[in-house]
Amino acid sequence: MSGFRLSLKHAPAVRVDLRGVLPAALAGLSVAQVGQLPVGHGRSLVPLAEFFTVDPDGDDGTLRFVGDLSRCDRVGWQMAGGRVIVDGPAGHYTGGCMSGGELRVNGAVGLLAGCEMAGGQLTVDGDAGDFAASTLPGSMDGMRGGTLIVTGHAGQRFGDRMRRGTALVFGDAGDFLASRMVAGTIGIGGRAGAHVGYGMRRGSVVFATTAPQIAPTFVPAVADALVFWQLLARDLARHGGPFAALPSRAITRHLGDLASDGRGELILAT
Amino acid sequence: MIENGVAIDDSFAEAFPMKATRLVITAHNLTWALNAAVSATGFATSVIACGCEAGIERELSPADTPDGRPGVSVLIFSMSGKELAKQVERRVGQCVLTCPTTAVFAGIAEGEAIALGKNLRFFGDGWQISKVIDGVRYWRVPVMDGEFVAQETTAVVKCVGGGNLLLMCTDTDAALAVAEAAVAAMKALPNVIMPFPGGVVRSGSKVGSKYATLGASTNDAFCPGLHGLAARSEITPRTRCVMEIVIDGLTEADVGAAMRAGMQAGIAIGAAGGLLRISAGNYGGKLGPFHFHLRKLLAAPAAA
Repeated sequence: MSGFRLSLKHAPAVRVDLRGVLPAALAGLSVAQVGQLPVGHGRSLVPLAEFFTVDPDGDDGTLRFVGDLSRCDRVGWQMAGGRVIVDGPAGHYTGGCMSGGELRVNGAVGLLAGCEMAGGQLTVDGDAGDFAASTLPGSMDGMRGGTLIVTGHAGQRFGDRMRRGTALVFGDAGDFLASRMVAGTIGIGGRAGAHVGYGMRRGSVVFATTAPQIAPTFVPAVADALVFWQLLARDLARHGGPFAALPSRAITRHLGDLASDGRGELILAT
Repeated sequence: MIENGVAIDDSFAEAFPMKATRLVITAHNLTWALNAAVSATGFATSVIACGCEAGIERELSPADTPDGRPGVSVLIFSMSGKELAKQVERRVGQCVLTCPTTAVFAGIAEGEAIALGKNLRFFGDGWQISKVIDGVRYWRVPVMDGEFVAQETTAVVKCVGGGNLLLMCTDTDAALAVAEAAVAAMKALPNVIMPFPGGVVRSGSKVGSKYATLGASTNDAFCPGLHGLAARSEITPRTRCVMEIVIDGLTEADVGAAMRAGMQAGIAIGAAGGLLRISAGNYGGKLGPFHFHLRKLLAAPAAA
């Protein structure tokens, strides 16, 4: 299966919606056909070739974007398989609702990265904006599967309403980390902002280096959870970075948010 | 065929298809992992009345367990997947969940899934928490020493049960020594258990009985007390004590390898140590699809 390389010609005047430009949709198409794929540009649909130079690239089916795509939204939107690489920053909704495959952005991403993703792996080698790993506005469930890795910093509301999957930030996270979290695992390599775990019901938030400010609606755990910790820490350690040494660390836990269901936990491996 | 004075019968052990699973039980230390494993594999010598046949396969070092603690792997065999699921739930619920510091994991990844912690979680009375780690779901159930962690399911595989050896010896001391050596040699192998007490059964059975309600009864042909009384006896004035070893294994090759190791351990002791003859139990080849011919096993290379 042939791959494609889409190089951005120039910064678009208004935001471009790249939904539908996925490895599965491009499979079997010629370079000319790929260039004719309609993409949203403001209120109109415009051929992809208006913005991108299309070249064949390898034979493993990888779709590669090159350039500053920070004005291009929904890269990898609803992606179910295959491999997409962005060499440069990407816009909002990157990897949103993806259910499989691998999406890698070698740069920063905008708002709502990995929102409601259900499977696959999204790697952001840079910073992520607000509401990453969270929910679309008005929806009840956020990220519900798969793995999201942000090697830089993340904005506010990281993991809002998240209910399954693993989301890791190697750097800092903004305010309201894991707010309204239902379940799943979040790992933070750096510092976290205010109101960590606001209204979280279940789920685990691991702090690998720096303890956050803990809200009074959390209680310190008196019981050990060594078995669970080893299972989780070993899984997180394979992602490296600040998480590599977790299995050898002792932990303290805080349980809450008691203003909500109260079965979540903040795990301090600091 | 005579090996070191031991007569090897031109006979075969007849074994049956069963369903099995492996559980990995870990604990704060090996003592408590063993306490759980011994308890969970108790009263599991024969499917005739126990519902399953179970035993400890081996002890596991911290490097070999999912949570980095000492552990024990146990194998549980049953005649059907449904019965196996019932036995696993009862035994883990009563013997592992209850045992201090333990956790339980599936020891086989591929196969039809049956509940492990899936139903036991309700012991948590609403405080239980599910956790999916690397695609595997675990249950965390609060208990008085912390929390009990159990993988949600374990896998069931087709396997082979009922491989056996009959060790015909001069007296009780010799028979016990030979049987113990054979069991020790088999225990060194993976994927097999010897479900009877100490791995050895002295009440070998034949199919059927003079009593209509009994499906199995004493194997009179091998009872020294019936020498000269029973119509057909395998006992001679010199073979006055017979022990049987029953082997359940995950594959036909595993059972065959264990039988070979057991025979070789017995032959090493030889006639000088009191082992005169090795035979095996079968039903004429009509009941079980797996036939383990003693002489063929001995002739095959050990690595097979």
